[in-house]
Amino acid sequence: MNFNIALAGNPNCGKTTIFNILTGARQHVGNWPGVTVERKSGHYTYSDYKFNLIDLPGTYSLTAFSAEETVVRQYLIDDVPEVVVNIVDASNLERNLFLTTQLIELGRPLVIVLNMMDMAEEKGLKIDTETLSTLLGAPVVSVVGRTGEGVDILKEKILRVATEQSKKSRPININYPRDIETELQKLSALMEVSNDKDHLDRWRSVKLLESDKDTRDEMRLRSNGSEILDQTNISTERIETLFKDTGRAIISYARYGFIQGALRECVEENLKLSTDYSRQIDRVLTHRWLGLPIFGFFMWLMFKITYDLGSIPMDWVDAGVVMLMNFFSGILPSSMFASLLVDGVIGGVGAIAVFLPNIFILFFIIAILEDSGYMARVAFIMDRIMHNIGLHGKAFIPMIMGFGCNVPAIMGTRILESRRDRILTVLINPFMSCSARLPVYILVGGAFFPEQAATVIFSMYVLGIVVAITSGKLFSRTILKGMSKPFVLELPPYQRPTGRSLLLHTWERGYLFIQKMGTVILVGSVLVWALGYFPREVELETDYQTIETQIKHKYDDQSIELSEKYIRSLEQSEREYHSEMVPFLQSKNYLSLKAQHDSLGYLIHTTEKLEVYANKQAELGEIMSKRWIGRLGKVIQPLIEPLGFTWREGVALITGFVAKEIVVSTYGVLFGVGEDVDEASQGVIQGLRSSGMTPLVALGFMIFTLLYTPCLATVAAIKRETGTWAYTFFSIGYSLGLAYSLAFAVNYFGRMFNWLS
Amino acid sequence: MFNFKKPRHKLSEENKDGLRLSDLKPGEKGRVLEIGGSEQFRLRLIEMGLTRDTEVCVDKYAPLLDPLELIVKGYHLSLRGIDAQKISVERSN
Repeated sequence: MNFNIALAGNPNCGKTTIFNILTGARQHVGNWPGVTVERKSGHYTYSDYKFNLIDLPGTYSLTAFSAEETVVRQYLIDDVPEVVVNIVDASNLERNLFLTTQLIELGRPLVIVLNMMDMAEEKGLKIDTETLSTLLGAPVVSVVGRTGEGVDILKEKILRVATEQSKKSRPININYPRDIETELQKLSALMEVSNDKDHLDRWRSVKLLESDKDTRDEMRLRSNGSEILDQTNISTERIETLFKDTGRAIISYARYGFIQGALRECVEENLKLSTDYSRQIDRVLTHRWLGLPIFGFFMWLMFKITYDLGSIPMDWVDAGVVMLMNFFSGILPSSMFASLLVDGVIGGVGAIAVFLPNIFILFFIIAILEDSGYMARVAFIMDRIMHNIGLHGKAFIPMIMGFGCNVPAIMGTRILESRRDRILTVLINPFMSCSARLPVYILVGGAFFPEQAATVIFSMYVLGIVVAITSGKLFSRTILKGMSKPFVLELPPYQRPTGRSLLLHTWERGYLFIQKMGTVILVGSVLVWALGYFPREVELETDYQTIETQIKHKYDDQSIELSEKYIRSLEQSEREYHSEMVPFLQSKNYLSLKAQHDSLGYLIHTTEKLEVYANKQAELGEIMSKRWIGRLGKVIQPLIEPLGFTWREGVALITGFVAKEIVVSTYGVLFGVGEDVDEASQGVIQGLRSSGMTPLVALGFMIFTLLYTPCLATVAAIKRETGTWAYTFFSIGYSLGLAYSLAFAVNYFGRMFNWLS
Repeated sequence: MFNFKKPRHKLSEENKDGLRLSDLKPGEKGRVLEIGGSEQFRLRLIEMGLTRDTEVCVDKYAPLLDPLELIVKGYHLSLRGIDAQKISVERSN
């Protein structure tokens, strides 16, 4: 037998943690308000019954102001779960029970879970769960989510409520002041006439007094609808004159009145302020003068760790990819299939795989920021700046998540309450430099700014932020005029993140990236490989074979000449040799001559190798320029020439639209690395340097990569979250135009003043 | 750029010139008398526990002086100065 169970509760009440413990399913656990924006489901079996769990979004109320509140309300009314499990933060009982009063009125069998009992005790709260259970008319179970203490009892309680629900009497009523009760009874009586389906009339009456739009609309469909609405207007007016406030406010006051009455009977307060350790931490982290520098330091540290620490495992992955490529090209006969597998699939995906360590480290750090509760402080610290762009401080959170990947970040804009705020945040999000762009900076920045790579990369991130802020300001004054929603943000207590949650969190996001590697990037890589593989036969203007023979001859001649010279000098030196002390072969003259010869020989040998290599590169360059990939690049070359880009950059940028990481693998194909060169990225760096790119052009190229049209997956996310093609095309066009203008400006002024040439 | 001296929000006659939450300094406590502003704003705050007669303590201001952090019903809540100005309070410590 199956039971449907819904988990409901406030943001930050630990709902997701309990969901994880119950189902063992992979699930995102955060600490800033509103992290669970989607309905997540899972299931578990307990004493032969199957329980299907829905993790409802965290909400403070069911007023249906935000998308989350609407989702919860609709689910509870329409899907009729057998049991609603209301997770309540015991250390913050009064406000958490506000939602509980609404859940009680919805009439579904309820189990109340007092989570974070350890924190409540630390705070000096003693809760009499039995009395609370009687007052709320539902079983109360105390649980410590972090340790899993009490979960077995919870499962047992859920089972009992689910199986016995038909026999059990209906839950208690929340008692309102007598004048309100009178009106509620009048409304309920009218409603009972036209309802035989459920027992929600009392709830609907309350909603009518709150002037709830959805309920009013529902009443219009009833046979005695006009009568009910007339009574509603009379009743609302009566209590509003009586209490001198709006119906909604009066009902909310009354709910808190009920809660305070209940808490007086079952909570013993012995508050110990000294144990408010969160406040102590906040004295430093959100300190007047230290708060911002500390935040800046954390951001800097985040990138330092991602870049520096990530470079160690990066080398291992790189070596592994090369080993794989060598292995397959060793056992497979040279064929199209071998080339597809080695250069297209392994080479293409491998070029991205080397950045997995960086990306996982970044996601891990973001998970720490979220789970510890610091993210909410980020919103607190940054609100004034975000407000200035016309956004809520909370909007900083999806912005900062954009550093990981714009796709989940754009999905994360759902935490914002107004549609205008969401669209604005979605539009400026792609300028937050996602982790996919990091490989491009590492490669190009590393090749042209080896000494200041970290600084150059950091400034790319800063530039992205500046562009996002400027664009945000521009949009909020033009296409998205209007005030943002009031800022009402809970600052949850700091928590030590659990390792399990951090790993789950990192893995979930990282997995999205791996999935992307397996699909979009794989297809993109194969496409890029095919563009560089066909047509097979190209006519070359230069005879590279002859040049190579000439080079070899030239150096052979030089070697022979060197040897002859050496022999002559040896003969002469021996003739002039007079010392009787040591044999000639041990004399100083002989040894210095030999050393001279060896180093000259080595020099000749290396120069020969280098010239042969350069010749091969030139040949490959010409071949590539005549294949599809080069022709494509040549077509757009006139367009990007003002930016200092060659056809290679053109190709890389076009293919980068599939996913920005592909810019790197495209370069891999263009420079044909992975055949002779032992380290793939080293080959591309060599190729880039010898392709005539200057540091100035490299800078322009990085800026272009940062700003231009977001990748395919991001475009899809923008379409999904804004709901219109208009904003989607606007976003594509705006970012492309901006990228072009800035890269042009860099190239134009850079040349004018001779920077970085 | 940041102007808090905007026209005061409409509150009922008796509280028109009274103390506002935004007038409290860090560490000071006040009792909520009335919340002005839009119905949605009022309701959101009431739902978050800022009911009439609730004691709130201004814990601190953000590094850029806005928003401010309150302690209400034992938890920490953050509001902007411009919104705190819509809440009239009486000093309680």
